[in-house]
Amino acid sequence: MNPLYDAIFKGMAPLAKTAVQASLDEGKSPQDIIDESMIPAMEAIGKEFEAGRVFVPNLLLSARAMKTALDILKPLMLAEQTTTLGTVVIGTVKGDLHDIGKNLVASMLEGRGFQVINLGTDVSKERFIEAAKEHNADIIAMSALLTTTMDYMKEVVDAVKADGLNVKTMIGGAPVTAEFAASIGADGFSTNANEAVEVAKKLLS
Amino acid sequence: MTGKERIRTVLEHKEADRIAVDFGTTPVTGIHCKVVEALRAHYGLDQHPVYVHEPGQMLGYIEDDLAEALGTDTAGCFGPKNSIGVWQEDWIEYRMPWGQVVMLPAKMVDSFTEKDGGLYSYPEGDKSLPPSCHMPERCYFFDSIERQQGEIDDDNLNVEDNLQEYGEIDDKTLQYWKTVTDRAAKTGRAVVAGFGGMALGDVARIISPAIREPRGIRSVAEWYMSTVCRPDYIKEMFDRQSDIAIRNLEKIWATVGDNVDVVYVCGADFGTQTSQFLSVDTLYDLYVPYYRKMNDWIHQHTSWKSFKHCCGAIYPLIGGLIDAGFDILNPVQIAAKDMDPQRLKDEFGDRITFWGGGVDTQKTLPFGTPAEVREEVMRLCDIFGRGGGFVYNTVHNIQANVPVENVVALMETLKEIRA
Repeated sequence: MNPLYDAIFKGMAPLAKTAVQASLDEGKSPQDIIDESMIPAMEAIGKEFEAGRVFVPNLLLSARAMKTALDILKPLMLAEQTTTLGTVVIGTVKGDLHDIGKNLVASMLEGRGFQVINLGTDVSKERFIEAAKEHNADIIAMSALLTTTMDYMKEVVDAVKADGLNVKTMIGGAPVTAEFAASIGADGFSTNANEAVEVAKKLLS
Repeated sequence: MTGKERIRTVLEHKEADRIAVDFGTTPVTGIHCKVVEALRAHYGLDQHPVYVHEPGQMLGYIEDDLAEALGTDTAGCFGPKNSIGVWQEDWIEYRMPWGQVVMLPAKMVDSFTEKDGGLYSYPEGDKSLPPSCHMPERCYFFDSIERQQGEIDDDNLNVEDNLQEYGEIDDKTLQYWKTVTDRAAKTGRAVVAGFGGMALGDVARIISPAIREPRGIRSVAEWYMSTVCRPDYIKEMFDRQSDIAIRNLEKIWATVGDNVDVVYVCGADFGTQTSQFLSVDTLYDLYVPYYRKMNDWIHQHTSWKSFKHCCGAIYPLIGGLIDAGFDILNPVQIAAKDMDPQRLKDEFGDRITFWGGGVDTQKTLPFGTPAEVREEVMRLCDIFGRGGGFVYNTVHNIQANVPVENVVALMETLKEIRA
């Protein structure tokens, strides 16, 4: 019986809020709460999604419950006590304002232990690179929904290479394929938010 | 056969004298204004700025001369107001950021705000309100801006708020439909009309770029989450909305009658590229009863056929959409997961008409060669065309970046097949 795990798995933000507070009251450290309850819940809902038993709305609800709990824990955590799997700078590329999928990827990455810098939509190559440098990022993750904007991902990948920045690139979005990712020299590609976490982990392993 | 006869024949799942074709009669079977201009030039038609009837996606109006050149069997009737709620009148020229001069309603153009190489537009063209659409630099569309007012308060949610845009059709609008459908019917082509009001949970409507001050659940993510955590609210909304729609359909049928052949009912997308937004059980619980109510009314009282647009990997949901009473499924996104054309035709082809699926628009049409386009059009017409139940259209709109030589390859291949 783990009320916080259940609240996040079922996507119930108000319950997650009370459950995380109860865990803190029991004297658990924020990092232990994240590692023992929250990340396993996000892993479990991700597996359900992969199996086709739950759908995007369920992931959105779980991600929101996770964020509600994280927002309580984060101010209590000192930077040196925080363990992350890596830092990801994420955004929807220039000319494209679609962000449901991108935000879901950001939430799943955060929910599974990455530090995520979400740059929003309509993001230029200069902003991606600037943010990657500022936050010492390990990965730049890009999204595009439109066939008219997906080519901009190549501009970002090329700019990253030209800059000599030591960062991996990964891409996603409805029209994006593994073949396209390979053709533009991106390091990673995923078809959905859950898979994106696995791809990011693999890129940094 | 006339276009009307051809479309009516294939909708009865019989083969017509040749493949039936639609270009440009709905917001999801159209052509971007940039490509419309290029096609007009290719076919040697009068060069003038293209009328943009749907500014969200910047779809160009297919005038009769181009419809003739493309061999389309359909004539579209669009609503009296565009996607930001501006009346389709007082057309003036406007140069878009990519350099093309198009025709748009003056009230929309006058309210444009140019910023950072892009454009903002406003509900009903009223600049005193926050903008509801944004076309960023290097983009060819207007995307809606979410205007959700604060956090959702579940204790005080009122379904009336999400019904604020639905009401009784007025006489001016009825007269408008009479005029435009009379004109369309005279073309001899099948008339496709989008009367509005019947789309259940279409996020393009939920986000409401035409509404001055949207209330209720208006965020796309919040709406999707509501399908899981607020089912009763959604059912009440759909029940009320479908009642209003049917009352309006009674008046519209009395006014336009069989001028119209096909009614665009709903554009809610249930598929992603590789999955669905809901389970089969949720489709039957939340949507099917209310779709069924509207489709049953249409079938019992009119000669119209009902058109459902639904993007994505929706193979598991197609049976439910057939049970919901739809006659037509669009856009038949063949590049999405499990949407193999032959399988779709074999399993569902005798029960629903595929309106679309004629060429992949995510890869082949924008990025393939003319030879690849030709091969795909040939193959898909062969699969979908057998036994009727197929109206040729691309998978969704033809987008701005599609090379005109690929569109011409598509059109010429169609002409060859139809000769």
